[in-house]
Amino acid sequence: MNKQAKPKQTQHINRREFIKLSTNSVAVLAGGISAGNLFAARKSSQPKPKNIVLIFTDQQHIDTIAAGGCKHVRTPALDRLKKSGVSFTQSYTPNPLCSPARSAVFTGRTSSECGVHINGRSIRSDIPNMGQWFSQHTNFETFYAGKWHLPRTYTLDIPGFKVIHTGIGGFGYLCDTAMSRACESFLRNRSKSKPFLLVASFMQPHDICEWLRLNMENPERLRYPQLAGMLPELPANFNFDNNEPKDIKNRRLRNDPFRGKSKWDKEHWRYYRWSYYRNIEHLDAEIGRVLRTLEDSGYIDDTLIAFISDHGEGMGHHQMVRKNSFYDEASRVPLLFSWPGHISENKTEAFHLVSGLDLMPTLCDYAGVKPPVNMRGRSLRSILEGNVLSWGHTVVTEVSSNMGRMVRTQRYKYITYKDDPVEQLFDMIDDPGETKNLATGSKYASTLAEHRRMLKDWEARLDVAPNVQNTDAWWYKA
Amino acid sequence: MAQKNGTIVGSPLTPALLSQLSAIGEFIAAPEDFRPDGNWVSTYRIWTCHGFLETGNQNVGFLRIERTAGKANQPFMLKVRQEVVQADGLLHTLEAEIKCLNNQLSSPVQWHLRSNFLDPNRQNMHDLGTDERAVIDRNIINVRARDGHKFRREVGGPLTSDWCLFEAVQRLKFDKEPSLNFDMLEGLSLLKQGQRLSYSGAYPMKMSGKNVFLHRFDQLGDGILPYEYWLDNNHRLVAAVSMNKAYILDEQAEKTIRQRIEQLRKTYRKTKNAVRK
Repeated sequence: MNKQAKPKQTQHINRREFIKLSTNSVAVLAGGISAGNLFAARKSSQPKPKNIVLIFTDQQHIDTIAAGGCKHVRTPALDRLKKSGVSFTQSYTPNPLCSPARSAVFTGRTSSECGVHINGRSIRSDIPNMGQWFSQHTNFETFYAGKWHLPRTYTLDIPGFKVIHTGIGGFGYLCDTAMSRACESFLRNRSKSKPFLLVASFMQPHDICEWLRLNMENPERLRYPQLAGMLPELPANFNFDNNEPKDIKNRRLRNDPFRGKSKWDKEHWRYYRWSYYRNIEHLDAEIGRVLRTLEDSGYIDDTLIAFISDHGEGMGHHQMVRKNSFYDEASRVPLLFSWPGHISENKTEAFHLVSGLDLMPTLCDYAGVKPPVNMRGRSLRSILEGNVLSWGHTVVTEVSSNMGRMVRTQRYKYITYKDDPVEQLFDMIDDPGETKNLATGSKYASTLAEHRRMLKDWEARLDVAPNVQNTDAWWYKA
Repeated sequence: MAQKNGTIVGSPLTPALLSQLSAIGEFIAAPEDFRPDGNWVSTYRIWTCHGFLETGNQNVGFLRIERTAGKANQPFMLKVRQEVVQADGLLHTLEAEIKCLNNQLSSPVQWHLRSNFLDPNRQNMHDLGTDERAVIDRNIINVRARDGHKFRREVGGPLTSDWCLFEAVQRLKFDKEPSLNFDMLEGLSLLKQGQRLSYSGAYPMKMSGKNVFLHRFDQLGDGILPYEYWLDNNHRLVAAVSMNKAYILDEQAEKTIRQRIEQLRKTYRKTKNAVRK
């Protein structure tokens, strides 16, 4: 469907849902209720954790936790974390690419506002990051270990943080081992008197990118015959739609499974999935070291733990690998919170739509400080503590050098790219594998129109950085 | 296939490919009197591959293992030192003395492990150091840390560590006996369960112009990408490869890494000074 064509009105969103979306979601997204106002209404007597640990992973598919139902991995550490708190299943990255996602998570502003629409850019200087905000407005000491990527992947110089460890560019296995040891020692040796915010930013399971380059050629036979019969099955949505936006089509063809001398056979796809799960287990062991130290050292009861990944991994769904796509495998990420006695335990939150943009206001809320102005997300505290009355959140995600946008509402996912007439609309309840594009017919014209309008409203509120390309595409979208 | 970062390697790393990538220099066979169960010192350069032929591949550290034999069938000692360089001139060092059982897996029974970080000015980052002594008693690891803190960890069946395997694999026969099944304590701290080690066969390959036969053992299990251990005919471990990481036997490894860390420190200090000015 041509996105400029006037869509025919239908009533696919029912009235109640429409009103809820219009009044809650868009109003909040567009600033009708600001995050600051929400905080102003909070009582100052709310309990505050003594410390905050933010565990950040890189390229972690949401379905990679055994306790969450993944049968292909052993993840005792993540299982423990999941059981001790709230895990979101409808949580989206603000941008399914490393630097842009990180800029948004660490500021609560979109990647286009931060000026980080591609990898390796710095956050705009007038937008504070979490470390700067916490060190200026709270009594938390702020520490950082591991991957940063804004702009440098690893650096001793991160504004607002004391960096306790860097890492090794592009080599998660070695990097995370040293990093988690640094965190372990930091926690063991530190005087317990002063509150801290520690970011433990792991590189894994990003090593799957190196795996892809070292296994691009389809082998004649399985390198380890003993794995035959042990490889995970292909996903149900392995096939792909030929009528996708160009960006997705091209991205798929540029990726390793389609670039070698011959296309991958199904066994190689399954071997790739098996290898990804082993990277997850490595990551889990390293996270386990940090969690075990928090427990051994007596921090656990006073510490809020937040866990998030920058983006997901294609994992063969739609025959995609890596990231940079709006399909759920790349854009939906694990998001967990734990604080014994304060946050609901062993709760899977499968209803509320949330975003990495919500992390900054959430941590500010728990630290007892107002977040910076113009937060694009909201504090998740009411959901975490089981007090939510109304949410109705809608999530907007950016991608591909600011070329693409995704709007996720309670039922639908809408995807559009600059200068591409092909839009996508998926019914995420009836078709969670995103296999039937509803944007191709007229039946969902009003739904499409509504989502386009939400996107337009959202974009109109943003303060996009001057260095960001393709901005005009979104301001004037009908 | 070329792209902006270079030509994609495309296939798993083998000693022949490492040679092609200039990660392995000249192949030198083990001395005739090399005895895997004797006294020896082996140093491995730790080399990582970004997946491209031309760019991003780095020497990031070294691992030195020194074996001191005990009396026949008695425990023996391994002395381990690993240094890995990190961005901006940080250096992470692990040192361990491990008492191992004289079994197929070289199972560790007692050890002293130290982890230290040096900053770009070569200063020890004391708040990031650890010093642990551990003893295994009936499937329980009892650890005592420098600060007096004690903790226990339970382990299951046969146990070894990644460093011990570098020694153990050299004492295994080159035949397809049933695979060894065990749990692995990686870096003497992270438990990786369900490991299997088996002989894969002898492979002819060309390394620095020479035709050689190398023997391969494969290790698969939870929490690791498969390890391939490549040994020469005298049972000396020439290289161990796990996905994009290779440990390459190299007498000059320490010198290479010391030069690299000095370069990184210098670059960092220069950048800092430039920013200050």
